Amino acid sequence: MATKKWIATALAVCGLACGVAQAQTMKIGYLPSTVGQALTQAWKTGIENTLKGQNVSFQALDAQMKAEIQVTMMDDFINQGYNAIILQPIDAAALTASVKKAEGKGIPVITLNTDTKLPHAACVTMDDEGAGYLVGEQIGKALSGKGNVAIIQSPPGAQAGVEREKGFRAAMAKLFPEIKIVGAQNGQWNKDKAIEIMNSFLQVNKDLDAVFAVNDNMAEGAMIAAESAGRLNKVKIWGFNGQKSTLTLIEQGKITGTAYTNAYNQGATAAKYALDMLSGAKKKGDKTEIVTVPPFAATKDTVAQIKPEERW
Amino acid sequence: MSVSAIRRLILTGLLVAIGIALSFANPTFLSLDNLMTLLQDASLTGIVAIGFTLILITAGIDMSIGAVIAITSMICVNFISYTQLPAYVYIPVALAFGCAIGWVNGFFITHFKLPEFIVTLATRGILAGLALIVAVKDDQGFVKNVFIEDELFLSLGETIGPVYIVTIVFVLLAAATQFFLKRTRAGTNVYATGANPTAARLSGINTDRTLIGVYMFSGFCAALASIFLAARMMTAMPEFGIGSEMDVIASVVIGGTPFTGGIGDIWGTVIGTLFLALVKNGILKLGLSPYIQPIVIGGIIIVVVVVDVWYKAFAEKKAAQAARRKAMQGKEAGA
Repeated sequence: MATKKWIATALAVCGLACGVAQAQTMKIGYLPSTVGQALTQAWKTGIENTLKGQNVSFQALDAQMKAEIQVTMMDDFINQGYNAIILQPIDAAALTASVKKAEGKGIPVITLNTDTKLPHAACVTMDDEGAGYLVGEQIGKALSGKGNVAIIQSPPGAQAGVEREKGFRAAMAKLFPEIKIVGAQNGQWNKDKAIEIMNSFLQVNKDLDAVFAVNDNMAEGAMIAAESAGRLNKVKIWGFNGQKSTLTLIEQGKITGTAYTNAYNQGATAAKYALDMLSGAKKKGDKTEIVTVPPFAATKDTVAQIKPEERW
Repeated sequence: MSVSAIRRLILTGLLVAIGIALSFANPTFLSLDNLMTLLQDASLTGIVAIGFTLILITAGIDMSIGAVIAITSMICVNFISYTQLPAYVYIPVALAFGCAIGWVNGFFITHFKLPEFIVTLATRGILAGLALIVAVKDDQGFVKNVFIEDELFLSLGETIGPVYIVTIVFVLLAAATQFFLKRTRAGTNVYATGANPTAARLSGINTDRTLIGVYMFSGFCAALASIFLAARMMTAMPEFGIGSEMDVIASVVIGGTPFTGGIGDIWGTVIGTLFLALVKNGILKLGLSPYIQPIVIGGIIIVVVVVDVWYKAFAEKKAAQAARRKAMQGKEAGA
């Protein structure tokens, strides 16, 4: 009898302790499209630095670039009773149902870079279309409004990449009608694939003047191809994002420029927003609050303005 | 008790044990919401795995299932975007298309005597490309992933009570297929074709027709899963399902259907599917680093298969010993 009572007391204390611990610690989940990229790593660092010292537990999951997996993981965060989710949707339409479900259960969702179709807490985004336009302007000016350019695209349907390309094409059509876009191929966000595509661009177009890759990885791939073809000095290469390795290549003069965004800052902004939602400092509005992180055209002349601690 | 029955018992025991361990590690594991989403995930893979089990029983392989999922979802979304037809009209069309792809696979395999792997790998590529071509585009020609608002279609992603419709369909399809395999002449033909095609042909079984039928069924299952996937995600993407072959293959193999043909059944596949879904769901609950997760899943598959092979060898040895002992006893009795 005494033993039974003792066990019951122990269980009750345990339960209480668990209950108290759960009530105190808030859980924030981070779900990027993949964990294997400089950008999503930098976001993670930015988020973690902001959450340091707060009474918050933090968990990152890897959606492996597949929307189906990301939806499953969203369900998991919801079922585990996370208090806020920071999400980089792989696809705007595909993650809308998940975001709706989370928000329906009172879990604020802060999206990164890709907005979903229905309202949620906030979207902290790079200005993809605007930055694409910026790259278009820079290339157009450097070519004095004449020449042949090619685009290394993102996978079809990847909103961020598509927006960048749209912005770029808009700048070309509006400002530099004499510049010809001679090719556009899907580099799958991937360096190896970009090398392959750049090789074919270089073979087909004997006078290629510039190439715009919609992320830095692919710009680095294009650079490798141009260098081995001995045409690096003739082709201007622009990337997008501004990761550390690309900024170094810009300093070395191998890559012409990139649309840089401070990804640490972007991750920190999203985390700060999540904390404000949890503390009640920010309330959910009727519409998604769009927080735009401005782009910066990093070239050999301007890249020194990006401080070492801002490089990711 | 037969070897396969004991094996299944072990796997089920392992399933329960992991489940109990997980519920201690993270109390949210046993919540109704979590169990139902777990079953939903398992069902989406499981429906495809049912078709794939029949393929493996015939000693074949179907690499096109992922691409069938992609193209079927594109067909649905085209109907939704460009016509006013109701879901009960275009869903059968999409399912029929899945069957048709299976027929093409089966036709090339039987008529031209081509290896299954090559044929289905080729159709996989063709269908993946076609999915991009027929994908809905915006005014500038970029692929646009349509946000589906067709109520009837979306209701397929809903629940009846706490259970997702896809789970109910999975259970019904599994029961029907198991019945077909074990209780019908055509089902027996599937086993015979896989175990020894020549012997099957000589005994009057139309193995070509059996094979074509099996590939059509596999295409049908993939198309069915695709519809539920699109309803769940409220959209369709041209890359849907591409790469999901590995989960399907893992589920079927964990379930005890080997690549060699002639053996296997649906209950094994159901358990295998649940097992894989449980492990994947559980891993998320343990808060492991994302880098570790695929390693754990890969490791578990290896362990299950190694134990399986080891146990099978052990059981065969035991059976051989028993047979020898019996023979010896018979001899002694005779002498």
